[in-house]
This record gives sequence, C-alpha cells and structure tokens, in this order.
Amino acid sequence: MSQTMDPNNMPFLSEASVSVEIETEDMTLNIGPQHPSTHGVLRLVAKVNGEKISSVEPVLGYMHRGYEKLAEVRTYPQVTTLVNRIDWVSGFANEIPFIAGAEKLMEIEVPERAQYIRLILTEMARISSHFVFNGAFPLEIGALTPIFLAMEDRERVLDLLESVTGGRFHPNFNRIGGVKPVAGAGPTTKKDIQDLPAGFYHDTKVAMEKVLKAVDTFEDLIGGNEVFQARTKKVGVLTKEVAEEYGVSGPILRASGVEFDLRKQSDYLPYDKFDFEIPIGENGDCFDRWSVRTSEMRESAKIILQAIEDMPSGPIQAKVPKVIKVPKGQTYVRAENPKGEMGYYIISEGGLGPYRLKIRTASFSNISILPIMLEGALLPDLIAIMGSLDFVLGDVDR
Amino acid sequence: MSFSSELLIKVLVVLATAPVMALGLTLLEVKGSAWMQRRPGPLHVGLRGFIFPLATAAKYFQKETIIPKDVDEPVFKWAPAWVIAAVVGLFTIIPLSPTLIVRDLELGVFFLLAISSISTIGVLTAGWSSANKFSLMGGLRAAGQLIAYELPLILSVVGVVIQAETMSTVGIVEKQIEFGFPFVIAGQGIAFIIFMIAATAEMMRTPFDMPIGESELTMGFMTEYSGIRFLIFYISEYINLFVMCAIASTLFLGGYHIPLLPTEWVNFYGPLVLIGKTFTLAFLLIAIRWSFPRFREDQLQTLAWKVLIPLSLLNIMVTAIMKVVF
Amino acid sequence: MKSGEKKTLNQSDQNEFINSIQSSFKNTSYNFDTLKINVDISSWIDTHKILKKDFNLSFFNWLSAVDWDNEVKTGDAPKEPVTPSFEILSCLSQTNSNNLVISSTVISKENAEIESLVDVFAGANWHEREAYEMFGINFLNHPNLTKLYLPDDYEGNPLLKSFELISREVKPWPGDVDVEGMPEDSIVVEEKGS
Repeated sequence: MSQTMDPNNMPFLSEASVSVEIETEDMTLNIGPQHPSTHGVLRLVAKVNGEKISSVEPVLGYMHRGYEKLAEVRTYPQVTTLVNRIDWVSGFANEIPFIAGAEKLMEIEVPERAQYIRLILTEMARISSHFVFNGAFPLEIGALTPIFLAMEDRERVLDLLESVTGGRFHPNFNRIGGVKPVAGAGPTTKKDIQDLPAGFYHDTKVAMEKVLKAVDTFEDLIGGNEVFQARTKKVGVLTKEVAEEYGVSGPILRASGVEFDLRKQSDYLPYDKFDFEIPIGENGDCFDRWSVRTSEMRESAKIILQAIEDMPSGPIQAKVPKVIKVPKGQTYVRAENPKGEMGYYIISEGGLGPYRLKIRTASFSNISILPIMLEGALLPDLIAIMGSLDFVLGDVDR
Repeated sequence: MSFSSELLIKVLVVLATAPVMALGLTLLEVKGSAWMQRRPGPLHVGLRGFIFPLATAAKYFQKETIIPKDVDEPVFKWAPAWVIAAVVGLFTIIPLSPTLIVRDLELGVFFLLAISSISTIGVLTAGWSSANKFSLMGGLRAAGQLIAYELPLILSVVGVVIQAETMSTVGIVEKQIEFGFPFVIAGQGIAFIIFMIAATAEMMRTPFDMPIGESELTMGFMTEYSGIRFLIFYISEYINLFVMCAIASTLFLGGYHIPLLPTEWVNFYGPLVLIGKTFTLAFLLIAIRWSFPRFREDQLQTLAWKVLIPLSLLNIMVTAIMKVVF
Repeated sequence: MKSGEKKTLNQSDQNEFINSIQSSFKNTSYNFDTLKINVDISSWIDTHKILKKDFNLSFFNWLSAVDWDNEVKTGDAPKEPVTPSFEILSCLSQTNSNNLVISSTVISKENAEIESLVDVFAGANWHEREAYEMFGINFLNHPNLTKLYLPDDYEGNPLLKSFELISREVKPWPGDVDVEGMPEDSIVVEEKGS
C-alpha cells in the first residue's frame, strides 16, 4: 500500500514535508459471528490497517438449515411452514411467492378477496420489517432511542397480523388456492366462514394512521439528525451497474436510482388496483437506503388503507383437491419482499412435494456486495454499511 | 484540628460523596432515557425502582472477576485505578461554598486540567493490556480523542481565567458574585458551549463514544473487564459526569451561588445549589446522549482541530481585548 | 428523492421480448410464465454474454443446479425415466420490466464441470460456490471455489438425490399426519416432594 519514498529523489519536496510512511502489517480482525452489529451470526474476517479496512471476507453458514433439501421431503402445504422461517422479520411475505408458484403450476384461480387479504398482510409484514430496520440501523450507528419507538409502533402492526393469522412472526396462513379462515372461526366447511376478525378494518385504520405518524417522527428524529446525516450521506455508495451485476434488489437497488419494483412490474398480487409510488434514491448511499425504506412504509400504509376501503366480498378459498398434487412443470415466481426480490424455482414431477425447490432470497445477493463496498472503508463505516443493507441471516443462509 | 485528621475527614467525605453522586446520576440517566423512549424504566427494585442503581452496583460486587489468560495482568488490574483516581481527585477543587472545599488551590484550574488527563493513561493501558483487538482499537481511539479534546477544554477555560483574573475556583465564583452575572452570560457563552462539547468527548459519552462504541467495538477498552473492575470503570464514568458538570457550573454558571440569596448563608444553600446546577447540566448531557448517534472517528477529530480549537483561540483573543478595553 | 411514474404491465412488450428470444435461440420453452432457454454446455458463457449485451438482461438473479436421477434417497423420484445428469440453471432479468430468462444446460455426472460465469457476472461467485458444495460441480476458472456454507471438513454434497437425510432414515416423515401421538412409555410422571 505505502511506497517507501526516498527524500533524495524528490527535489520538489522541502525537507520538512517529507514523511516516510512506515510499512505496517495489516491486522486481521474477526468480526462476528457473535458481535452486536452482525444481525445474528454473520462473520466477517476483515484485514484492517488501523481504522481502515483493506479487505473483507464474509463467512456464511452459521444459520444454514438446508431448506432446499428439507423441501424435497415435504408436501407442498408443509413447505409453507418452512419458508416462513427464511426471513423471520417478515415471515408472511415469504409464503406468497411459493404459494403463487404452486398455484400457477396447478392453474388455480385465487378468489379476489383472498388476494386482497394476502396483499394487506404482505404490506403489514413490509411495514413491520421496515420498523425493525428503522430501529436497528440507528442503533448500530449509535442512536439508542429510535429502536424503542420503532418496536412500540411495530407492535400494533404485529397485533393486527396476529389477530388475523394467529401468529406474529410465522403466520403459516396461506393455503394453496386461498387463505386460512381466521383463527378460532369454527370449521372451514361452513358456508360463511369468517375470514377477518371483528373490528379489523377499524383497528387497521387506527394502526395505519399511527404508522404514518411514526414515519413522520422517524424522518424528523433520524433523517433530520445532523450526526446521522454525517454518518450516512456519501457513505457506502453503490452504483447501479454493480448492484445489477450482483443481483442486489429491493430498496437497495431503488436507492441506487433503479426504478424497479415487482409490485408494479409483476402481477403476483393485485397491486395494479392501488395508487402508490415507488420511492427511489439518487446517490445510492446509506442515507438513501434509509430514506427509501422509510418512504416505502408510508406507501405501504397507503396501500393498506385503500385495500380495506374497497375490499371485495366473496369466498377466500378456491376449490382444490383434498390431496394436493402439483402437475409436472417448472416455474419461477418472484415477489417484492421487504428485503428485496424473493423467488422460488419450483420443479415439480407430479408428486406430493417438489422435486427440487430453488429458493432465491434477497439478502443472499444483497450482502454478496459487502467485500466490494467495504474495501477501503473505515471501520465505523462498515457498521453503517452493514446496517443499511438490512439483511437477516435466515434470509442469507436459508 | 491537625492537618492529618482534617485531611482524613475530607478524604472520607469525598469517598462517600462520589459514589452517591454517581448513583444519583445513574438513576437520572435510566429514568431520563426511559422518559425519552416512552417506557417506564426501572419500576420494581424497591421504592418504585429508585434504589435500582444500588442494586446494579451490588450486582457487580458479587460477579466473578474474569481475567483472560493472555492479558498483561498487573497493567490490566491497575488500569481502572488510574481512571477512578483521576476523576475522584478532581473533587479537591470543587467548591460547595467558599469554605466547603477540600483545598482551594491557587492553581485550581491548572490542577483540574492536569489531573483530568491522567485518566487517558488508564484507558490506554486498559485497551493495550486486554490482549483483545477490539480493546486495543478502543484504547487507541480513546487516546486520540482524549488528547484532541484536552486542548479545547483547556483553551475554553483560559477565557474564564482571563476574565476572573484568578485560577482558584473559589476566586472564580466570587468574581462572578461580585460581577452580578455568571460568566456564561457575561462574555463566556461560546467558551461554555466549547467546554461542554469537549467535556462530553472527555467523558466518552454519545455522540463521542467511539472508544466504547458498543455496536462497533463491542465495549471498546472495557470489553474484557468484568465484576468489580468493570464497576469501577462504570462508576467513574458517572463520577466524571458529575465532576465535569460541577466544574462547568462553577466556572460558568456561578457555582454555589444564586443571585439575591444572602451570601452569609452560603454554607447552607451552597451545596444544594451546586448539586442542583450540576444535575441540570447532567440532564442536558443525558438528553443529548439519547437523541444522537455517534460521530465517526475522523469527524470527531475534524470537529476538534478545525472548529473547536480555532473557536476557543478566538474566544481567548476577544476576551483579552475586552479585558484591556474595559 | 423523486418518485417514479406509474407504470402498468405491458403485455405486448413482454410478448415481443419472448418472441425475440425464441427467434434467437433454438431450444426454448415458455411454460407457466417462465421462459427457459436450453443451451449446450459449450455455449454456456456465450449465451450469457449475448443475453447480457443484446437483450439487456443485466440483472444477475441466481444460479443453481438440479440433480436428475431416478434412484433417489430423499423425496419422490421422477415418474418417467431420466438420464442421470446435472442441470445447471441460471436466471437473468431486466431492471425495467418483468422480463426474465432461465438458461439451462446439462452436464454429465461423471465429468461434472462447467466454465465459471464470474467473468460475465461477478455476482455468480457465491452462487457457484453454493452449487459447488451442494452438488460437487466444479466451476472452472472460478477465483475462489471453496465451501460457502458448510464446514471445511464436511464430506458429501447435501443436495444430491443420493444424499440421505439421516433423520428421515431413522424415522420416516409422518406425511399428512399433523400431530403425532405421544408414545406411551415416554410419559413419565415424576413424583415430587416427600
């Protein structure tokens, strides 16, 4: 890194300004797998020169549970319990692309009401995931207050999710062809099954207004904070080209200025019926990544408020055979999850379970840029960059 | 009373007061942060949670002291002592009233600046001897930070000294009483702000807590400490908070005196007034701690060398000119 | 921060894209909204170069493999006989539309090696390392072909169909039985006190 300079060969330098940099060996710093800012069990082997990082090698696998193998010995309805646990911060959203893929292979038309319920709950999962981000990211930079506010507000959203699905983190609520009737609503054979709990619309409206207020608070408390801006602006800049080459998706890609959101581009859920905007960033730095996610919360709340306004009535479950067998075929279905693009490549050979299930998770691709982004960064920037990528180790290792 | 028995009593009083003040500030911190974060804070540990700091301290007493295998043992063991000796030593020059003071040193302010820099040694040796890379980085960060902020701390006080024409802390307070206004209003406002910023950095509190930086360096130079030695670091942090705020109140806010109160009763209300002012200042620092993230190491140095030091030099110049003119 | 304009799904654009792909590549299929190109192993790299350059598929989505075999130790075997082989799949997409292409090539199990995609898409690095440890496929010219998830001393390639899930060997998966009954002798009531 440093070149030994010979003062005699530099006549243009006065004697006082010549500084011979001492050749020092880089120190290997092992960050994680137990470290406060690695979101669980990520391990980074960093070569540091003082505070400066010369190279970083992420070591994965501490959370590897082999879901792709486990899926091969499970039936389709059983796989949904597995995929809930991939990104545990937004468990509900993980089910959607898998269920949509199975439905596509079986050629089932899902009732509109079920799709609306899926959509509302997915957006709630997104809001709760971004709440966690809004707490964890400032915490890593050193602001200790936002996480308490974020967790308090997230609780309202989780309560709503729980009231519908019965689970806060792992709802396992989607069924092939529809959704599960509400917890405790009686036998599913009844004609008029209750699908949403009493008072759900009212509670949702109240909660979403609180979410909108919370977003204003965050934009003031976090985004308006000069120290936060100093720590995040122009830090960890990710260009569009690098992001695309590494398959970086979701809010990180949008923060780099790419206007790509599967909710607009794809039709896995009826997002085209609602009016919402895709927030995109300009610089692709940590601040933009924060800003995109925070604005997304506002858009998600808007979507939910619209969806409960014109919720269609009707059945919540299409007619499906009692034993679910998916015909032979291959399909790739992807969805815009809170962390980015999540997709399932399902290879069915006509059995009870998939022959092969490739799970494409967002965080895996998102953190594969860490070695590039961290090269030459300062150690405190490492924390800021990792925090801004908002990954979950379950989503990385599967 | 002989000198030695007087000294003994004074030392005992200081040793009893310092931890009590630290525990009081701990309580203020936990309750204050809870209030800022919309949560109740400690509620159940006796008297509605009010003896919670005492319980915390007691907890550390009964914890095992773990000394890792590769540490430099004598250095590691003695490092907390440097820190607490430095902060408790500063009690010497805090005047609770013209007479209620351990020693009214003529070079009081000089003593303050000399003694407070001793804690740097403790922090640096703690980081170095821990045989932990995170500790080492924390220790180095702390050394760089403490040296950088020593300067604005000294230079901001120089303005006060020029204006008061004395280095004795009692003398400075008396000058403010004579003047009618505390120095923070009468000319030293900028110096006060610089002093508080530098003091926050000296105390390694957020937004200048990189040497500890929990999310970066786990616990910085304190990573390997446990049990009673960790408690010493922990409690000296709060004693330091008290001392720094008490000195700031003395130098800038009129110390033990409030205008309109009769000066002959100062031995009675003096301690209360000073502690009240100190806790108010401490609460300000606590509010700052819980609302800001931490700076980066280079931003911290930039702030010290490029903003605070030139500003405090300017302050000295202006004060000197004003002194000559008026 | 500016907000994107409203975009609606454009079906004709998508059809146009599919047609252009199908006219450029011989062996393609479009089933269940998934466009798949089957190429020969020799043109694996070139195909990706063409897709990246000429079709604007610059977003590297994922890369993985499938173990095709009739003799399986886990799950159900394919109903029709298949030639034992590895199928390498890669997924590329665009960042301004929903267009997406799955490329596929088949390599033999005996000679399980293929040219690495890292030079075309740097993002393939980790995906290829995953396929290497899970299937034992050798990616030629890969900069750092080491295990990604598994411990260094781990033996075997877990996603092979011949790799047993040991827990399922000991006790078969109960299938569609939701809750198992508690075995009688495992319920021990401990008496406390006295």
